[in-house]
Amino acid sequence: MNTVYLDNAATTRMAPEVLEAMLPFLKEQFGNPSSFHSFGSSQMEAIEKARGQVARLLGAKCEEIFFTSGGTESDNQALRGAVKIDPARKGIVTSAVEHPAVLETAKALQEDGCTLAIAEVNRNGELDLENLRELVNQQTAIVSIMAANNETGVVMPLKEAAEVAHKAGALFHTDAVQMVGKSPIDVHALDIDILSLSAHKLHGPKGVGAIYIRKGIKLPPILTGGHQEKGVRSGTYNAPGIVGLGKAAELALTHLKDTVASEQSLRETFEKRVLASCPGSFIVADNASHRLPGTVTVIFRGIESEAVLTLLDMQGIYASSGSACSTGSKNPSHVLYAMGVDYTLANSALRFSLSRYTTEEEIDRTVELLSKVVERLRRISPYIE
Amino acid sequence: MWQYSEILMDHFMNPRNVGNLDTPDGHSEVGSPQCGDAMYLDINIDDQGNIADIAFKTFGCAGAIASASALTEMSRGLPIEEALKIRNSQIAEFLGGMPPEKFHCSVMGHQALKAAVDDFRAKCEEISTILNDMGVTPILVRPGRVYLKSVADADAVAKVLEEKVERKISVEVK
Repeated sequence: MNTVYLDNAATTRMAPEVLEAMLPFLKEQFGNPSSFHSFGSSQMEAIEKARGQVARLLGAKCEEIFFTSGGTESDNQALRGAVKIDPARKGIVTSAVEHPAVLETAKALQEDGCTLAIAEVNRNGELDLENLRELVNQQTAIVSIMAANNETGVVMPLKEAAEVAHKAGALFHTDAVQMVGKSPIDVHALDIDILSLSAHKLHGPKGVGAIYIRKGIKLPPILTGGHQEKGVRSGTYNAPGIVGLGKAAELALTHLKDTVASEQSLRETFEKRVLASCPGSFIVADNASHRLPGTVTVIFRGIESEAVLTLLDMQGIYASSGSACSTGSKNPSHVLYAMGVDYTLANSALRFSLSRYTTEEEIDRTVELLSKVVERLRRISPYIE
Repeated sequence: MWQYSEILMDHFMNPRNVGNLDTPDGHSEVGSPQCGDAMYLDINIDDQGNIADIAFKTFGCAGAIASASALTEMSRGLPIEEALKIRNSQIAEFLGGMPPEKFHCSVMGHQALKAAVDDFRAKCEEISTILNDMGVTPILVRPGRVYLKSVADADAVAKVLEEKVERKISVEVK
């Protein structure tokens, strides 16, 4: 059975070129890049090449990129590090729709004595900048606003949010895990201080990512040890992973223009056809001024999302929902909740996320099956007359 | 994806007893606030007090839909009290097993059945009270029909019932 993978916001398939680039470092080139001997230390060249590849994708300088284990670690370092810099600044300001890697870390720091303020979003899932301005003050250490939301694909006003942070003397961090490689982002143009990214969201390997830290900012480490990465992030270099991330970043940059165009066009086709063939469906954040090209959440009125996912899964079509029905409690997505989406509707939401590998034929097949599945479940639904 | 049995998947794909009954003896609408699921259930009760017909509609996952389907299959033909005794574990067994995380899905079916039986009993009670006020002793009362002894004036009773209950109720003299 040919499968259709439409869950690229969760993770992506690794590009074949990435695997090729990684293989030597998983096989014969196993030395430790930090070793004195040339067998190990010769690998630093590959690591520095990868650093350059990542820096180019972000418009950053090489010395501003540090390799980590992924988005969660980078987010942790941004927040945990920022509140350590100045004892007079212990405040964290973030948004209600952040990824748990930011929200849960912020809550953990709140328990440790930091203050936490959470900015609201509007009905379109867009950051309420006015609200953000009210929350940021002279005690704020860091403002953390995601670049694009993982569920709605809504792109946040980073430049404006960064300006709010900087006016108060705070650092500005963005979790750009969903944005990097899928839509252009320039850290200097947007005035970003710290950025998190993850390799596996851009056709790279899992377990590796990076944190961009603007030159001049001394962000304390969360992992101490052997002083790798200038002491910003200790731990033996994950050479295959880093090389894979570098290659993935290079490919993402090469394909960026085409990726944006093809994902955007396929997503628009998908939306149009779903709306036409599935009664009661609508697009979340449809009126947002800026969305990612390839991520969309659809609400199918009157039917429960996990039932739809199950029926799609049986035909080899993989999508996702914001909530899972298990152990007696289903917590509908905090993102949709923050947007004021009704509880039942939130339980009817499905996310489809595309990649540069997604084809028109896959979109056709998905829409065709969706309309059947939706019709089938609507017949069983108490909410449909 | 959950590990569902073939039987469960069959009940999810081809749920039995889906829909509404035209003039149900008992109707319920219940929801589970924990997981956002919802269920409508209709029942008809025969003269012997057994569940003669049953139909449901469910907003829920595969586990919820399959357990609702199973409950209706298991309840049909049973005396009310017996149907109310069906346990979650029996539903899981009927479906050839169920992931433990999904056991809660079948709870909603019980609530719906109990609420539909309550609705049935309340409707019967309402009719019985009216008949009692009229000094009529029925042989059998159902939400849609009443059996009286041969001495009674069926037409007069039917008229009063229809006025007070605002529902078509057939009155037969046995």
